[in-house]
Amino acid sequence: MFSQIGFIFLICAYIANFFIIGSYKINSYFIREKFFYFSIYFIFISTLISFFSLMGNYIISDFSNYNVFQNSHSSKPLIYKITGTWGNHEGSMLLWLLIMSAYTLLFSFNKVLDNETKKLTIIFQSLLFIGFCSFIILTSNPFLINTLSVSEGLGLNPILQDPALAIHPPVLYTGYVGFSLILSLALSSLINKKLDIQWIKVTKKWAIFCWSMLTGGIALGAYWAYYELGWGGWWFWDPVENISLMPWIAGLALVHSLLIAKEDNLIKRWVIFLSILCFSLSVFGTFLVRSGILTSVHTFASDASRGIFILLLFLVIAGFSFLLFAIKTPEKNNNLNLLFINKTSVLLINNLVMIIACATIFLGTVYPIIIEVIMNKRISVGAPYYNSTVLPILLPGLLLMSVAPALSFQTNRLPNAKNYLYIIILISFLLVVFVFVTSFNVWGIFGLFTGLWILFASLYLCIKNYLVSNKKKFFHFLKTNNALIAHLGVGLLILGITFSSVYKVEYQNNIGIGEEINLGEYILKFESLDVTEGKNFQSLTGNFSLFKNDRFLHKILPEKRYYHVSKIITTEAGIYHHPIQDFYLILGEQQNNKWSIKFYQNPLINFIWIGVFIMISSGLLGLLKK
Amino acid sequence: MDWCFYYDKLRFIGTIKKMKKIIFLLPLLTVLIVTSFLLIFLLQEKNSNKPPSALLNKDLPEFKIINLFNNNEFLKSSDIKKKQSIINFFASWCSPCKEEHPLLIKLKNSHKNLLIIGINHKDKKINAIKFINNEGNPYDFVGQDSDGKIGLEFGVFGLPETFLTDRSGKIIFKQLGPLTDTIINNEIIPLLQ
Amino acid sequence: MKLFLSYNKFFLICIFLILRVDISFSFDEEIIEKDLKEITGKLRCMTCQNQTIYDSDADFSKDIKKIIKQKLIEGKSKKEINEFLVKRYGEYILFEPQFNQSNLFLWIFPFFIFIISALLLARRIKKNNVTK
Repeated sequence: MFSQIGFIFLICAYIANFFIIGSYKINSYFIREKFFYFSIYFIFISTLISFFSLMGNYIISDFSNYNVFQNSHSSKPLIYKITGTWGNHEGSMLLWLLIMSAYTLLFSFNKVLDNETKKLTIIFQSLLFIGFCSFIILTSNPFLINTLSVSEGLGLNPILQDPALAIHPPVLYTGYVGFSLILSLALSSLINKKLDIQWIKVTKKWAIFCWSMLTGGIALGAYWAYYELGWGGWWFWDPVENISLMPWIAGLALVHSLLIAKEDNLIKRWVIFLSILCFSLSVFGTFLVRSGILTSVHTFASDASRGIFILLLFLVIAGFSFLLFAIKTPEKNNNLNLLFINKTSVLLINNLVMIIACATIFLGTVYPIIIEVIMNKRISVGAPYYNSTVLPILLPGLLLMSVAPALSFQTNRLPNAKNYLYIIILISFLLVVFVFVTSFNVWGIFGLFTGLWILFASLYLCIKNYLVSNKKKFFHFLKTNNALIAHLGVGLLILGITFSSVYKVEYQNNIGIGEEINLGEYILKFESLDVTEGKNFQSLTGNFSLFKNDRFLHKILPEKRYYHVSKIITTEAGIYHHPIQDFYLILGEQQNNKWSIKFYQNPLINFIWIGVFIMISSGLLGLLKK
Repeated sequence: MDWCFYYDKLRFIGTIKKMKKIIFLLPLLTVLIVTSFLLIFLLQEKNSNKPPSALLNKDLPEFKIINLFNNNEFLKSSDIKKKQSIINFFASWCSPCKEEHPLLIKLKNSHKNLLIIGINHKDKKINAIKFINNEGNPYDFVGQDSDGKIGLEFGVFGLPETFLTDRSGKIIFKQLGPLTDTIINNEIIPLLQ
Repeated sequence: MKLFLSYNKFFLICIFLILRVDISFSFDEEIIEKDLKEITGKLRCMTCQNQTIYDSDADFSKDIKKIIKQKLIEGKSKKEINEFLVKRYGEYILFEPQFNQSNLFLWIFPFFIFIISALLLARRIKKNNVTK
């Protein structure tokens, strides 16, 4: 029953989009407007009902629906049945559609833009909806009826039964899919030949929101990889990770350009280009993930026909948009005041550096495919390549980041420039002490210097601004200085990344129950091995105690889980989160009454999550500004 | 001679303008080029789990392998260099190997002159002999590669893997995973000399 | 007498060489482990999903680690070991693409674009200052 309802409402939403596009035929202005805006509501509500119908199927475990049969099982906990709605290819595409229609609806409430631009933007959104909805109806229908008569489902991958991964798609898509609105805004601006202050204001707000959500989505994915995969890391330059990083970088460049945009320094062509680029990269990413071209932990079940369809969607969306861009490029801005160094030039450097990094990641991702087509040999482009190219390219941007907020547009003076010199001297001193105490490492030095430079300079500016602000209006202070706070977050992020990768300590050992081993200044004791029953799995938990110099610190509980239905064994890391470092323990294999274990100390890794959280919060805070 | 100067300047400005127009076409061109490559890649139905072999069109690796059934008999790579042969890596613990085994027997029966060499990879001798006795023996020679060194020379990383050589000792085909009727008919038989 | 002394010398040299080899072996062990970590950290485990041989516990990774360790003890260089593996498994096993003819564009492009943009930007800023 749910399947039929879901499908019918999906078709209704599909058809309503055609009505939006064809509404110009209605002669009466009044009826046309009413019809137009009513359709937007209708599309959203219909898609919502369709989506909830699919969810309903999952909740009641209706295995007559083929999608539910393939991806669910009656023994799954209810919360994972619900989130399983989008934990598969078809369901996640329906979620994509829902979020797109939500964005269109919310955008339709906008009062700032003129009617022409607004309607044109909505029409482009409808065209996009038609494209993706066609994809769903023709190749990825979640409402197909199961021809087999079954009493049980095929179960969900246990790796997906996880809180972080459960909310990862909705958060990620709110970012990814939101860029569709930015694209539509850009296209309507090209056709109307209008890019004014109102357009900048509106696009800026939506871009900040989308980018913040995308940051959250990526962070959730990275955090999940950290505690779930058991590989001790959180970023592997995996193709799927790169795919989410590219729109993130493009979005960040766009946000910066829009934030600094005023009449005289706006580079219209560049802003339009970035606006088109963000969503093009989103669609491209969706294609790579769902086409079966890539090997990754993350890929969905793939199908060549689906791949070809999305590829064509990408061609149409990106091709048409960039064609329009080439034909109707906005006029050149000859008033740019570029000094060495003022805010405008630093912004330009920031954008250039980010787009070059983005292009490099793009090249690294598609290069193996191109080589395989031409030479029929397969190569890998992995972490070593990206570390040696992307990181050095980003360095100038990162270094300028600290002073950028203090620069002016008109002059190239930096107020209190001497203070920055003192900061650099302080950092150099700290670095020398640090190297003396630990060891010399090139990556470590660069990362530390950059991280501390951004952190201290931003902190200095924050404090300076706070001292001259109205101390009672703290929230107002946060709002006004959200850029500085965001940069603070970046400084923490870089410190966290540097420390946890360069100064990570790892041990591999074999330990029997009841035994202790010395790991540096810590002692790890294997107390016991406990068996517990979870909802649909059996868990073998290693009960370990961590001591430092005979003082008990904390228990660490790594697990091995056996999921009955899918017959998969997963390894769950045992993590003790300490502010200074994470203690990360993996249970390996048993041989001759001893278990092999891997023990990692990840210093300052929590700075990464804290830094990202600060970045997201300050981004969202910026939405509250005038 | 002023008009010469102005003419060159105008031509120069013209080229700069053309270059600038091309810059705006770059994103579109990139989309078109990348899409074409991806389309070709998709249509070729390549499998992301099965990379093309590094040994394709290269000479057969040097090896000397002991006979599974006879400790005194060896097979060297030089022995089969001048003949076309199929080299099939298998093990008793590998279930896809069991599934493809009848196809090898069928192939041997229909192509009696085709040399089929089996290499028992990382397996126990007893189990390997039991496997052959139970499932049948399509092989002209069964080699024993208990420590996996021969497999290493061939770049084997999963079982089963099957190689086809030509009469000059070059490897002209590799299959990762079990053979199927389709693969044998469409890819191996056309290459038989 | 001479024979006795020369025999002793020979004997002493042997002992000395054995001891020397013994001593240097314990330092080499650490270096070999470090080299092993560095090399396997850039190699792909062929039976895993995008994991390095260093991180992976798969049978394939264990085998390769043993082979590489043996080669390091024999004194083979990192380049020779990579070549050995590439010959058998293809360039696919290397996470760091080789710097050869087919990968030239891959390695050159980022820096080329970076330098060109820097030059163009510098020129634009200079022009800006001149007109002011």
